[in-house]
Amino acid sequence: MSELALSLKNLVKDFDGKRAVDNISFTANRGEILGLLGPNGAGKTTTIRMVMDIIAPDAGSVEIMGEPFSEKMKDRIGYLPEERGLYRKLKVMDTLLFFGELKSMKAAAVRERGRRLLKQFQLEGYEEKKVEELSKGMAQKLQFIMTILHDPELLILDEPFSGLDPLNIELVMDIILAHKRAGKTIIYSTHLMEYAEKTVDALVMIDKGRKVLDGTLAAVKAEYGQKFVKVQYEGDARFVGGLPYVRSCRDSGHEMEVELDDLSKCEQLLRDLLGKVAVKGFQLSEPSLQNIFIRKAQEGKGA
Amino acid sequence: MKKIIAVIKKEYKIIVKKKSFIIMTVLTPVLMAGMMFVPVLLMKMGRTEKKIAVADYAGGYYQELSAKPAAKKEVKKGGIDLDAMDSPQMPEEAGRITFQAVTLEGRDAAALVKEFEQRVLKKEIDGLLLIPADVKASRQVSYYSTSVSDFTTIKFIESTLRTAISKQLLLEKQIDPTVVDEATREINMETFKVKKEGTTKSDSGMDYMMSLFMIVILFMVLINYGQMIMRGVLEEKTSRISELLIASARSTQIFYGKLLGIGLAGLTQVALWILLGAILVSRFSGMIDAAILSFLTPEIALYFVVFFILGFFIYAIPYAFIGAAVNTDQEAQQFASVLSVLIIVPYILGISALQNPNSALTVGASLFPLFSPILMFMRITAALPPLWQVLTSIGLCILTIWGLAWLGAKIFRVGMLMYGKKPSLGEMLRWIRYK
Repeated sequence: MSELALSLKNLVKDFDGKRAVDNISFTANRGEILGLLGPNGAGKTTTIRMVMDIIAPDAGSVEIMGEPFSEKMKDRIGYLPEERGLYRKLKVMDTLLFFGELKSMKAAAVRERGRRLLKQFQLEGYEEKKVEELSKGMAQKLQFIMTILHDPELLILDEPFSGLDPLNIELVMDIILAHKRAGKTIIYSTHLMEYAEKTVDALVMIDKGRKVLDGTLAAVKAEYGQKFVKVQYEGDARFVGGLPYVRSCRDSGHEMEVELDDLSKCEQLLRDLLGKVAVKGFQLSEPSLQNIFIRKAQEGKGA
Repeated sequence: MKKIIAVIKKEYKIIVKKKSFIIMTVLTPVLMAGMMFVPVLLMKMGRTEKKIAVADYAGGYYQELSAKPAAKKEVKKGGIDLDAMDSPQMPEEAGRITFQAVTLEGRDAAALVKEFEQRVLKKEIDGLLLIPADVKASRQVSYYSTSVSDFTTIKFIESTLRTAISKQLLLEKQIDPTVVDEATREINMETFKVKKEGTTKSDSGMDYMMSLFMIVILFMVLINYGQMIMRGVLEEKTSRISELLIASARSTQIFYGKLLGIGLAGLTQVALWILLGAILVSRFSGMIDAAILSFLTPEIALYFVVFFILGFFIYAIPYAFIGAAVNTDQEAQQFASVLSVLIIVPYILGISALQNPNSALTVGASLFPLFSPILMFMRITAALPPLWQVLTSIGLCILTIWGLAWLGAKIFRVGMLMYGKKPSLGEMLRWIRYK
């Protein structure tokens, strides 16, 4: 049995002469959470659709659990597409029955597990309601239940957080973690790097159809070193960007992430800050994925 | 296989639980019942209690007319009373006629007519029958009424009088009364329609109406279920459920499952109609026109089912194409109207086919697979075509369906995942070549 849950080799896809995915390769280990990161339009969804055999790649290959994609494989994967839809006229339990049976589940098993999941998602008592009667948040939950209903070995989630309210984001995070603990593999794409940062074991960054970076979260962060300082402050700190020993600075108004030439310069930074702004917090930090991504994207442009 | 069944179940459930499905299922037999009962009811209501005054100058004929047992008999279809057979029958279509004797008291015929003309116009009575004293020799009677085109009534009066006169003449010649009765017995004529599968009592007007009615239903269900599949596919496409489906099962499983599920729902509806129709016919056969009874044979029901199934697949697959190829309801409607024309053409051809079911044009068109579901069925209701033609049309339909299903699965696979722009015909042709 392959240790790899997913392996992409040199995937290429053109749309009307434009290269949407350009020679992307990466692997995902079993039992891990892999984040597919990148801004909107980077090619994440196209990549995922090729993995799911929804569109055929122009070149390259995909292997799942060490095998090429097959019909049987579909039952072992839980897929959440970027754009979601449900049959509006179908009842909640009928919806689960349909998608469960479509994944080769027995009706009784769907009912049993479906009820449990509905309860877990606080949708108890909605079994006989039509989908069109559900609120948007409830429909999103139902969509998630559909994705994990058949207890898939591999979850592929395309932008799972988009359009969710904070409570549902928490819920989705919990599910992702619970699946990881149960030994499943989760691959999800997102342009929200803050969320990824908290959950992924490994990541792949994509920009303009190309892979710009991949590796485990720890390795990626280590590569960019401990040269970052996070400062919480009140006042005008624009001058920091101009300091000679500051390589880069990402200012969010009340918090800034400062990259130093050398970690030894952090004391000097604190001295320079004091008196000019009210410092509320000051700590050494790892670079954020956001920061790394911006750097990588700029490198790409420069090259 | 299991996945196809899952799709079939889902499609079936969605349709059968719709309100419109239930309404249509109930309403159509009600309409059908209306078709069956109304003519008889109209006959009963419209023709009851016709009052005819009889000015019997010759004497004895009034008694003869009013004594007819059938004249007072309740209209009862099919129940020809054998006891009444030896005298002229009051035609059932004429309803009840009451004859009233006019007291003559030496009044002159011209004055009498004048007076009764007024009474007829005032609708106090429906008519005046004037039997002159010399009727035996002249064979001349007069009937005054607002409606002189009521042939059944007039025929009845004529034949009753003729028989009465003949009887009198024969009796005057000392002929045995039983022989007289036998000699003057009325002839009863029924019309029969000659069909291959057996000759049945029939009425061509009713037959025509029933054929038309059955074909309108066939036409309606075919368009209805075709559009249903189109909207279903389009809904999956616009709501992007299609992606989830393709990620769970083969596109062919989804496509064929959908066709079969919706087809089964349609078949359920047709079966319920036939069942309800059969109940109506067996429970109320006494109240239904015999022509209709003879028309609604199990054979016709069987052919209806067969041609519904063939027609469903022939039209539903192109409707599914449309749903998969377009992106909006408006676009879908545009294409759908083109397709509707394909269904209307055989329908229009068929109206002439009913009158002339074996013309070369009709025979040819009824073998053309896109037309035969409606046209061949129409010919079958009008006059059973040669069996080889029926079988050929069924065979051609099955071949066409096979081809369409193959083509449809391909177009469906690509179209379902193609969002945004409207595909050109060239592109759609390219889809077919995809693996």
